[in-house]
Amino acid sequence: MSSSALPIDTTHQPLVLLELIQRLKVRDVMTTAISSVPRSAPLSEAQKLMRTLQISGVPVVEEGRLFGLVSIDDIIRALEGGYIGKPSGEYMTKKLVVLEDDMPLSFAIQYFDRYSYGRFPVLNRDRALVGIICQRDINRKLLVELSVELNRMEENSRPHELEANPDIYMLHEFSVAKYDFENAGKAANSIKTAMIERGFPPKIVRRVAVAAYELEINLCVHSDGGVMSWQISNGRSEIVAKDTGPGIEDVAWACRDGTSTANEWIRSLGFGAGMGLVNVKRVSDKFEITSKKGGGTTVRSIVNITEVSK
Amino acid sequence: MTLTTVAEALNAEVLVKGESFDKPIRHVVASDLMSDVLLVDEENMLLLTSLASDQVLRTAQIVGAAGVVVVNGKPLPSSMVSVSEELGMSLLTSKLSKYDACIAVHRKLSA
Repeated sequence: MSSSALPIDTTHQPLVLLELIQRLKVRDVMTTAISSVPRSAPLSEAQKLMRTLQISGVPVVEEGRLFGLVSIDDIIRALEGGYIGKPSGEYMTKKLVVLEDDMPLSFAIQYFDRYSYGRFPVLNRDRALVGIICQRDINRKLLVELSVELNRMEENSRPHELEANPDIYMLHEFSVAKYDFENAGKAANSIKTAMIERGFPPKIVRRVAVAAYELEINLCVHSDGGVMSWQISNGRSEIVAKDTGPGIEDVAWACRDGTSTANEWIRSLGFGAGMGLVNVKRVSDKFEITSKKGGGTTVRSIVNITEVSK
Repeated sequence: MTLTTVAEALNAEVLVKGESFDKPIRHVVASDLMSDVLLVDEENMLLLTSLASDQVLRTAQIVGAAGVVVVNGKPLPSSMVSVSEELGMSLLTSKLSKYDACIAVHRKLSA
């Protein structure tokens, strides 16, 4: 399915929105409290549920398996035709369009654009009904997530902590997106420039720059994206690279020379030789890494910058 | 040896003249692995590579290299010249193989 079916221009929109609708899965957005009727229930029972719960469709389910859906149209037809007391199983809508719970939210948005349905049942891998998604669910979730994201962006763009903590005299944060090779390296570059401008000794600048560059490339190549922060305080430079996943199973193995999980494509770009973390360790006075498979990874590199020439 | 000498020895085309174009070069690294390049502790070194990507220039900038020569006559992505200009990094291309380029540069260095 092409992404052009999305109601927004995917080439010129802010990346954050596109990332959000890719990152969020249908299961993150759907309603899981499902009120359903069995096939034997009269249509009037579905009608009652619609009225009390203020919903526009009731799934027909038995033992987790979805058989169909009673929609408002079905009810209207039943009232007109005088068969509202008949079993739902006979008059429900049987031809359904469904979504799967691990599809990205962008799929759901495209489905709502393509079909005129007000809701889609959501099935899991075992084809069992696990939720229902309607446009209201999407609106609500997107507003919440966008608000979190905007908050974070506002935080990042503020020269925070400067007033609060007089010991910190430089603090920068950089977002690094997965596989964004076009921009990878820019953060390390600006760190290097900032240090040169402030007159730090070239050897120190190089060590900090190498650590920043390797960590930035790591975020770009191996993580689902993350944030690299850099601060100078109390005579030391501290870089923290934090990502949201997928995590490292064996941290000791990842820190060994020559070990890499990079694919051929990454190698063809000159990376993935398995030197990254080793190199960061080499240039750091203090190096820490914490990671959990399935969770995020945080790497901290500290370089002492005691010979500050101002 | 300066980049002008290198350009002559490698019959290379100078695409961008960066800030360190006239600085003397005493060290040469030939590699397509950027992590290996980052291990080098020499300032103002020359990087010979057959890898044609923006990251080569960013890596060179991080280690403070004097310039980059892309060998093997590799076609460059159009972004390389603009990134090179942005970073003030000299960029040259040569049709010589990496091996032959190494020999030619070595002769100039030890001359």
